[in-house]
Amino acid sequence: MGLISGILFGTIFGIVLMAGWRHMMRYRSNKRVAKAVDIKLLGSLKRDDLKKICGDNFPEWISFPEYEQVKWLNKELSKLWPYVADAAELVIKESVEPLLEEYRPPGITSLKFSKLSLGNVAPKIEGIRVQSLKEGQITMDIDFRWGGDPSIILGVEAALVASIPIQLKDLQVFTIIRVIFQLAEEIPCISAIVVALLSEPKPRIDYTLKAIGGSLTAIPGISDMIDDTVNTIVTDMLQWPHRIVVPIGGIPVDTSELELKPQGKITVTVVKANNLKNMEMIGKSDPYVVLYIRPLFKVKTHVVDNNLNPVWNQAFELIAEDKETESIVFEVLDQDIGQDKRLGIAKLPLIEIGAETPNEVELRLQPSLDMLKIKDKRDRGTLAVKVLYHEFNKEEQLAALEAEKTILEERKKLKAEGVIGSTMDALDEAVSLVGSGVGLVGTGIGAGAGLVGSGVGAGVGIVGSGLGAVGSGLSKAGKFMGRTLTGHSSKKSGSNTPVTSIQENGGAKSLQR
Amino acid sequence: MGIVSAVLGFCGFGVGVSAGLVIGYFCFIYFQPTDVTNPKIRPLVEQDTGSLQRMLPEIPLWVKNPDYDRVDWLNKMLEYMWPYLDKAICKTAKNIAEPIIAEQIPKYKIDSVEFQTLTLGSLPLTFHGMKVYLTDEKELIMEPCIKWAGNPNVTVAVKAFGLRATVQVVDLQVFVAPRITLKPLVPSFPCFAKIYVSLMEKPHVDFGLKLIGADLMSIPGLYRFVQELIKDQVANMYLWPKTLEIPILDPAKANRRPVGILHVKLIKAMNLKKKDLLGASDPYVKLKLTESKVQSRKSSVKHKNLNPEWNEDYNFVIKDPESQALELVVYDWEKIGKHEKMGMNVIPLKELTPEEPKVMTLDLLKNMNLNDPQNEKSRGQLVVELVYKPFKEEEMPTSFEESHTVQKAPENTPPGGGVLAVIVHEAQDVEGKHHTNPSVRLLFRGEERRTKHVKKNRDPRWEEEFTFMLEEPPTNDRLHLEVVSTSSRIGLLHPKETLGYVDINLSDVVSNKRINEKYHLIDSKNGRIQIELQWRTAS
Repeated sequence: MGLISGILFGTIFGIVLMAGWRHMMRYRSNKRVAKAVDIKLLGSLKRDDLKKICGDNFPEWISFPEYEQVKWLNKELSKLWPYVADAAELVIKESVEPLLEEYRPPGITSLKFSKLSLGNVAPKIEGIRVQSLKEGQITMDIDFRWGGDPSIILGVEAALVASIPIQLKDLQVFTIIRVIFQLAEEIPCISAIVVALLSEPKPRIDYTLKAIGGSLTAIPGISDMIDDTVNTIVTDMLQWPHRIVVPIGGIPVDTSELELKPQGKITVTVVKANNLKNMEMIGKSDPYVVLYIRPLFKVKTHVVDNNLNPVWNQAFELIAEDKETESIVFEVLDQDIGQDKRLGIAKLPLIEIGAETPNEVELRLQPSLDMLKIKDKRDRGTLAVKVLYHEFNKEEQLAALEAEKTILEERKKLKAEGVIGSTMDALDEAVSLVGSGVGLVGTGIGAGAGLVGSGVGAGVGIVGSGLGAVGSGLSKAGKFMGRTLTGHSSKKSGSNTPVTSIQENGGAKSLQR
Repeated sequence: MGIVSAVLGFCGFGVGVSAGLVIGYFCFIYFQPTDVTNPKIRPLVEQDTGSLQRMLPEIPLWVKNPDYDRVDWLNKMLEYMWPYLDKAICKTAKNIAEPIIAEQIPKYKIDSVEFQTLTLGSLPLTFHGMKVYLTDEKELIMEPCIKWAGNPNVTVAVKAFGLRATVQVVDLQVFVAPRITLKPLVPSFPCFAKIYVSLMEKPHVDFGLKLIGADLMSIPGLYRFVQELIKDQVANMYLWPKTLEIPILDPAKANRRPVGILHVKLIKAMNLKKKDLLGASDPYVKLKLTESKVQSRKSSVKHKNLNPEWNEDYNFVIKDPESQALELVVYDWEKIGKHEKMGMNVIPLKELTPEEPKVMTLDLLKNMNLNDPQNEKSRGQLVVELVYKPFKEEEMPTSFEESHTVQKAPENTPPGGGVLAVIVHEAQDVEGKHHTNPSVRLLFRGEERRTKHVKKNRDPRWEEEFTFMLEEPPTNDRLHLEVVSTSSRIGLLHPKETLGYVDINLSDVVSNKRINEKYHLIDSKNGRIQIELQWRTAS
């Protein structure tokens, strides 16, 4: 009897004990989970949440801006800045100098840093925004402001003129830096970083140029040339959608997804312009149009003499790399002795172009793209263009990419040989897979050192006329000197590789070095 | 009879309890799910007052304290990264643990130990505020408040003697408030040499430990005991002032301290190419050390000579013999216009054997591009003699102090005396009426010392050290510091200007050994100067 009741009680006791344990387990587990949830919620508090918790005692110092403030980071940065500046000087020198070389304008034979120190004022990070726009990527936008006091002295060498040091003063950079982290499942979890400057709002980089021991007028147009170079580097290298891709941590990753790739082809026909402004004293303007998506690949129409309502009817093919954000810039210029004057400029965002259907667009010309700077609101006339957007398929995309590479290599080679002063010189539309010839004009000094490039394959002869100013030496024309006129064949020619023929290189070459 | 029945009852109870425990285990615990589910998270706005009340003690520090900053962007980033971090960390952990396990298990006659599941869960680590401190030392101090209340699931299956048991860790929660100090700051990336981590408070640790499905941590009392044990163990190791030190860079190398001297003797050049139209060229040589801020040196100009002999000596301070190189460029001197380059060559310092003089005859090249066909043309030769002398350990020049311990005074200091070191770090907001080219003038017992000039700078940095050898402690002395600006132009008008001064009483230095402070300048609007004083004694 005792045994049975003992077993019975024992069993019940054991079961109760276990039940109690389970109860405790549940209780503790629920408590932990609840806490985990709380911590998670409190980790990402929003204004409404905080209002609910704090009620009337809402802390006044807290705000929730779109770009989150990072006071602590700024404090650290200002303390760390002298050391960062020291360390960065070498890195900047090494990485920016080749860039300057690549984008160097014609007319300048060498552009180097002779002194570079970043100054005492640390940049400020006004805010940071983090979002995930795409699976496996984190997009971080940094509102970056730097009104620094760096001392940057550029050693500029131009043809015939001794090297003059030019100081970049009062540098101010206001921009939003977009950093995209490509995530990976290996430590350090980031396989690549993409850096770009967000184009909306447009990055603002201001500075003043000052020649040391001399005057800026020693080389005419030099400040424009430097402005142009800086501008091109920024827009063509950094400004979204252009980006710099940095692979990180020994994991071999395919970063090609991140790189900017040709996305589509745009066939642009510049039809005509109406009511252009007359810029010339005698007669009428001699207008032509320069159009580009990337400043590195500019194309232009022929010049229509003495006409304010010119008709060109010329077709070009441009490559689009990011339809969402890029736009075609049309610049109508007046060919002139010396500096060509701008008659008007217009911008056509690619997003407004419907795919695969021909569009006819009438663009209003403006004195400048920067709406804030436009003083004179007078009408500058209109430009009529036809555009057709064709989206690439995989093979076409690869082919376009290859073609682009070959062109850049070709230019580099030419540059190494000293034929053209800078990669910016060779203006051609070979990107568009058309192997038409490329006419080349060196830094024309003297009476229009022109040369004739002959089209290969397409059979369209091209006459590149030197835009060199007649006997004016290196005038401000340098800015547009050496840009080439290229003819165009509207059909794709057989060869993908542009063949550059240099038939005559005249005085241009010898004068350049 | 009663006794027998009582004994039987006891035995029965014993058997019953074990049976009951087993039954109860199978009834209640065995069939409990072992996987961890993601908790449902309702937005905070929808929560009731009860749960809000529960949250109050966990309110982030940035809400309560204005000196803490919100780091929502960091939390967001972690949240997006978490699934990847989870996989990466788990993979690494497995890779590290497996060989160790394979090595250890034969000793304990265990058949196998393996991870059944290993995941950190879906809830990321969160930062509940970040605070930084600014000091006058070369360091960055930050105090993040890190809270991780996750839902990880680590199940380890152990097989031994034909039985299989699982140990499972769930719901790990770790709250820590570490102080992270980055120091010393150095002028090469990533700009600090070491990371020091220490905990300002005992960490909070909580977790569930399930042995064959039963959570040991829910046994009343045991949880508390284990928690205290862990807290104390961690506290013993890392609670402030104990620190965990993580070296990042070698500070000596990171500071780019000089490690040796290069003696260059420029002997002669031969068969230089003629550049001038009339007569021979006027050659001179420019010597430059790459990756250094030292200005290039120029030799004298030998007029009308294509085989010039210089026999001139130059010394360069070397900071990194592995990467630095000596660049020699021969120029043609001109009275008017640009000096034309006649040829150049570069000698990487790693080609030199230390302490061994080496005479080198260099072919002059157009540029350093090896493939340039123009380099094949003969431009003449340059003869130089080079000796690289690395500093010996003891003669390593000690630049400004890295560690916070005060150095010992050299041996020849008189007993009772010592060395007073004054390190002029930097100044802020010094401004002259006519010019601001500040330098510091130190006056101590009639001795005057000066720092270099910093040109046109309101916030100059000098980082210069001055030492004074003293017979007895300078208890009653004062140090007079004056910031002076001298005009860069040669002119009679305002050649000199005082931007402010400060007198520092030295008695504190003797008792404290080291003082590093910012002083407000007298006769200056807003100027401040940071001075470090050290009293170095033999003992």
